[in-house]
Amino acid sequence: MQATYLTIILAPLVAAALAGLAGRLIGRIGAHTVTILGVGLSCVLSVGVLKGFVDGTATPFNGPLYTWLVTDGVHMQIGLLVDQLTAMMMVVVTFVSLMVHIYTIGYMHEDPGYQRFFSYISLFTFSMLMLVMSNNFLQLFFGWEAVGLVSYLLIGFWYTRPTAIFANMKAFLVNRVGDFGFLLGIAVLFHFTGTLDYAEVFAKADYIAGQSVQFVSGETWNAMTVACILLFVGAMGKSAQVPLHVWLPDSMEGPTPISALIHAATMVTAGIFMVARMSPLFELSTTALSFVIVIGATTALFMGFLGLVNNDIKRVVAYSTLSQLGYMTVALGASAYAAGVFHLMTHAFFKALLFLAAGSVIMAMHHEQDMRNMGGLRKYLPITYWTCLLGSLALIGFPGFSGFFSKDALIEAVHLAAEKGQVAGAGYAYFCVLAGVFITALYSFRLVFMTFHGQERMDEHTREHLHESPWVVTVPLVLLAIPSVVIGWFTVGPMVFGHWFGGSLHVAEAHDVLGELSGEFHGPGSFVVHAFSGPAVYLALAGVATAWFLFLKRPDLPAALRVKLSGLVRVLENKYYFDWFNEHVLAAGAKAIGRIFWKGGDEMLIDGALVNGSARTVGWLSGVARHLQSGLVSHYAFAMIIGLSALVAYTLLHG
Amino acid sequence: MFTTVLFYLFAAVLVGAAVGVVVARNPVHSALFLVLAFFNSAALWLLLQAEFLAIALVLVYVGAVMVLFLFVVMMLDVNVAALREGFARHAPLGLVVAGLMVVEMFQVLWVRRLGEPALLAHAQPAAVEAGVSNTKALGTLLYTQYAYPFQLAAVVLLIAIVAAIALTMRKRPGLKLQDVSKQVAVTKADRLRIIKVEAEKRP
Amino acid sequence: MIPTSLADFAIAAPEVTLLGVACVVLLLDLFIGESRRGWTFLATLLGLALTAFVTLYCAPADRTVALGGLYVADAVATVIKFAAIATMAVVLLYSRDYLSARGLLQGEYLVLALFVLLGVMVMASASSLLSMYMGIEIMALSAYGLVAFDRENPIAAESAMKYFVLGAIASGTLLYGISILYGVTGSFDLNAVQAGLEREVFFGGRHIGLLFGLAFIIVGVAFKFGAVPFHMWVPDVYHGAPTSVTLMLGSVPKLASFALAWRVLAEGLGPLSHEWHDMLVVLSVLSMVIGNIVAISQTNLKRMLAYSTISHVGFILLGILTANAEGYTAALYYTLTYVIMAAASFGMILLLSRQGFEADRIEDFKGLAQRSPWFAWMMLMVMMSTAGVPPFVGFFAKLYVIQAVLNAGMVWLALVAVLASVVGAYYYLRIVKVMFFDAPAERAPALGGSPAFRMVLSANSLAVLGLGVVNGPLIALCQQVIPH
Repeated sequence: MQATYLTIILAPLVAAALAGLAGRLIGRIGAHTVTILGVGLSCVLSVGVLKGFVDGTATPFNGPLYTWLVTDGVHMQIGLLVDQLTAMMMVVVTFVSLMVHIYTIGYMHEDPGYQRFFSYISLFTFSMLMLVMSNNFLQLFFGWEAVGLVSYLLIGFWYTRPTAIFANMKAFLVNRVGDFGFLLGIAVLFHFTGTLDYAEVFAKADYIAGQSVQFVSGETWNAMTVACILLFVGAMGKSAQVPLHVWLPDSMEGPTPISALIHAATMVTAGIFMVARMSPLFELSTTALSFVIVIGATTALFMGFLGLVNNDIKRVVAYSTLSQLGYMTVALGASAYAAGVFHLMTHAFFKALLFLAAGSVIMAMHHEQDMRNMGGLRKYLPITYWTCLLGSLALIGFPGFSGFFSKDALIEAVHLAAEKGQVAGAGYAYFCVLAGVFITALYSFRLVFMTFHGQERMDEHTREHLHESPWVVTVPLVLLAIPSVVIGWFTVGPMVFGHWFGGSLHVAEAHDVLGELSGEFHGPGSFVVHAFSGPAVYLALAGVATAWFLFLKRPDLPAALRVKLSGLVRVLENKYYFDWFNEHVLAAGAKAIGRIFWKGGDEMLIDGALVNGSARTVGWLSGVARHLQSGLVSHYAFAMIIGLSALVAYTLLHG
Repeated sequence: MFTTVLFYLFAAVLVGAAVGVVVARNPVHSALFLVLAFFNSAALWLLLQAEFLAIALVLVYVGAVMVLFLFVVMMLDVNVAALREGFARHAPLGLVVAGLMVVEMFQVLWVRRLGEPALLAHAQPAAVEAGVSNTKALGTLLYTQYAYPFQLAAVVLLIAIVAAIALTMRKRPGLKLQDVSKQVAVTKADRLRIIKVEAEKRP
Repeated sequence: MIPTSLADFAIAAPEVTLLGVACVVLLLDLFIGESRRGWTFLATLLGLALTAFVTLYCAPADRTVALGGLYVADAVATVIKFAAIATMAVVLLYSRDYLSARGLLQGEYLVLALFVLLGVMVMASASSLLSMYMGIEIMALSAYGLVAFDRENPIAAESAMKYFVLGAIASGTLLYGISILYGVTGSFDLNAVQAGLEREVFFGGRHIGLLFGLAFIIVGVAFKFGAVPFHMWVPDVYHGAPTSVTLMLGSVPKLASFALAWRVLAEGLGPLSHEWHDMLVVLSVLSMVIGNIVAISQTNLKRMLAYSTISHVGFILLGILTANAEGYTAALYYTLTYVIMAAASFGMILLLSRQGFEADRIEDFKGLAQRSPWFAWMMLMVMMSTAGVPPFVGFFAKLYVIQAVLNAGMVWLALVAVLASVVGAYYYLRIVKVMFFDAPAERAPALGGSPAFRMVLSANSLAVLGLGVVNGPLIALCQQVIPH
């Protein structure tokens, strides 16, 4: 099996190297052929691996492949951990990636950086696979940083646009904050266990939970709480949770295929995956879980609001991604890891679908992204319309669609957790996710209605050139639409209420909300029926209805509402002033402090006295010592003799 | 007792000659002092019953190396003044270091010896029977026990030859060389042309 | 044990083969005209391949001492010999264009190069001070000849003279030390010396004569390494010699120096490690500090690399002075990787050189990134590696050495090493800066080099990266061959 796993990882890397380094040699067709073959191979093999786990013929694999270096007893290794969780992630990553690869052929058709783009997305696939298949923190961190790097490169793919450069800097810097926490979290774990291997750390989890960390103030914290919160800070950066979410909407400056692949389906879910992977640790700290659930709930609801006022089609989808990531985080906080990961999977499919559909619209509209200039596109882009509609239905959790199963299971779990009061903040979270359902439906159908229905608001020139996208674009849409609709039926039972994940997710006895719910689960059909006795479905339908009323029936109302609620709208349009705060308080403050240190500390003390001073001293010494090399052989011989007598003298005096 | 007296005699001359090598103003004198030093060390070896080495030292170093050296020194007409330059200036420092070395050696070979009677216990050579040929013994050792380094020494000589030839042999263009075989193979017809000269000039 | 017939020499098959190859090349060259010197060159390379094969094929499974206790065949010897042969082959490949452009591609050059290698191999397998000394002389004598090989160049002749005189002094010192050691222990055989010393040390005796002899031997070893203060010859010889010879001297003999230190200090004089430890600390610190500091003010690349070699020698000594298996392993690893890096950096100078032009000034590398991006990146990797930047192999070499020093409890020494490499990074990175940020000179020479040269040089440079990323096997090999 090792060979299979290695092939899965390395095929995209090889393809990326070929497309990147020999891009000019193999040309455009060569570049996309080789990367699609690489990722396709990974995808097929990953499906094979997953099938093994579904059939029950495969057993989890955990072992080192190669020891990179051993220092001070720490083994820094490349190692693989392939279990059910990993297998599922592998399939999601490679499948979405494959779809995006194919889609890119159409989307980037005219772009001069064609080969570069394919190289990057293949490299991303490799990095993501490294991340999910790792069995130790070092490799996890490598993958974590590698996906961050590729994301940075891709957001700034059109590097001549100032906004793209700004956006990728922003993404990079915000992620740095998260990564710093992540690294500290790993360091705390390493400090207490002395190892980087997952299994070994998990084995010592109880020991860590018994330790405490003392801060300067003298306050003691439970070591596990500190470690988990720090790790989660990393997840907040990568999975864009409040307040580290600010980079994700701006990342839409990148080409749409990568918005689908990286900023919706895979990379941003790395944080969710990581917390699920670390479930044996998080389970030991209710404080950390509480922190997780509150952050998640806030993200889920308040980021949804932002989707209501934005007019950029991609940004609306981006805010919806933020909100959905919040849902997943809430599930993690409620110890319903399986539900969170399940939502991760379904979300990957329908969100990638929505992004690609948005991309298709943008292509048809000649890179126009403002929804106020769209409308009535249904008849020009039928395939895009239908797939987008299916994706939106899945997103709002329309009964029977994949999103329904995942979201409903999630809400049920949070409900139960709130009833049991197992973590602080669960009640708040339950409120947020319920309200979020309504908001989700509202902004999703606002998008559908504004884009595909109603008046045609585009200019004449654009209208004349409207046509459906080529097959390389529509085929991925259709292929993604299929799992978006049906996958919930097959998987909700085993994944959420069964024990398919086995040992890869760990839930403490007292927190096992899904275990309790599984008693009431009698197949997907009755699950759908049962849903009608809860509020979520009605809220979703209410949202759709509201959207219909506001944007189709009475299109004049939104404008009136805006005037009425101008204060609220201003807050929303300024995105709760997060960016303002970051720029004017954090960045400006840091700049001011930096200036003080720069002028006083750096220029005077370090540069003046230490760096230049020591450099000058070394240079001076160097000049002096150079003169010892006189070129006269007698001097050299004399130096040797002096050296010899010094050695002898030393021996005699010492011995 | 007699040998002890001889030893000190030869040793004193040896040291004196060695000092002479360094301080003599004329390089020819230095070389001659060196010859003297070699002779005395050969004599010391004879006292140690190492006849072959003594003879080899005289033959090889005195007979060949030093004679060659003298030729070179005489032919090159070395500028004595230039060589002496800086001698006086560097002499004090040199003397200090040399003195230091002497003190250190003294320390080792004399002072510490008093406290350590076991010194050189296993380095005492066994008494040699009369009639054993020194040369033969050396030869036997060289061709059996030390065949490997002996071969390596041969390689060193080969390298010396190759390097010396590579560094000194030049093929100058336009150089006129004798070709003995051609000279021998020359026939009368090659060299001699008979020209009929008329006895008197005709108007 | 005493050899009586030719068959006893079978154990020394690699050396015998190489000697045979050298003689064949010497004779063959007589019958090959000036214009077809390439055949001699080819014969030399084939001979090296044959020797490499014999070395690997005839390596005994276990440590074997033969030829009257003068010759030892063990894993360390095999590794050093094979590395030396491979390096020599690469060195000759790099040198070919340079030599033929200057009319130096003569049979004698190749023969002397083969003899340098022979000296290294003899040293690697020496189990007696006698054979060790013969090996040193074989290597040194050939090297003197090679340095002076360009007769038209007065600087080369001068540096050869210096090298010869200083080498003779060092050789004399070493011999004096050996004779004292013989006087005390009664044997040249390193195993016997070791056994004798162990007895001596066991009974609490620290023979003053031994220490005296040890100091002299250390001087000989330090000279071969080029450690401060016995380093004076290094910059002058590196600078004066033809670059192809500098390349050879900068790489292959370092393996021999390690062999010398390993056989004599670690194996033979191991029981005296407490004494030589202190001496090596002084030499090592001086080498690292002076080598790195003086390198900064050099404008000639060959001289700069000479001082850089001195500082690297300090690191190798650092590994040896720990006097334990971990340190020896690190030192061997450092030596092997250093040889790879040195070959690449001098090879780069050769690549830039052409007829009548030596690209040995730092400014000759100006704007290389524009002239040849590929080789600028290659040089960047080599320089980064030499400076000790991860993930290149030079980083790991330094890491293992420093780790060994730390484990031996010498924290201050590790600090000195780290600080010295920080200083060192300056002048390596200056090359990088010059290559990438300076404009090329007016009459910047086009890059020379045959395709084979370019390919091997690229492979050599990439090895610096590859061995860094995949550093397990080589360090494992070193751990395996150094007995614990």
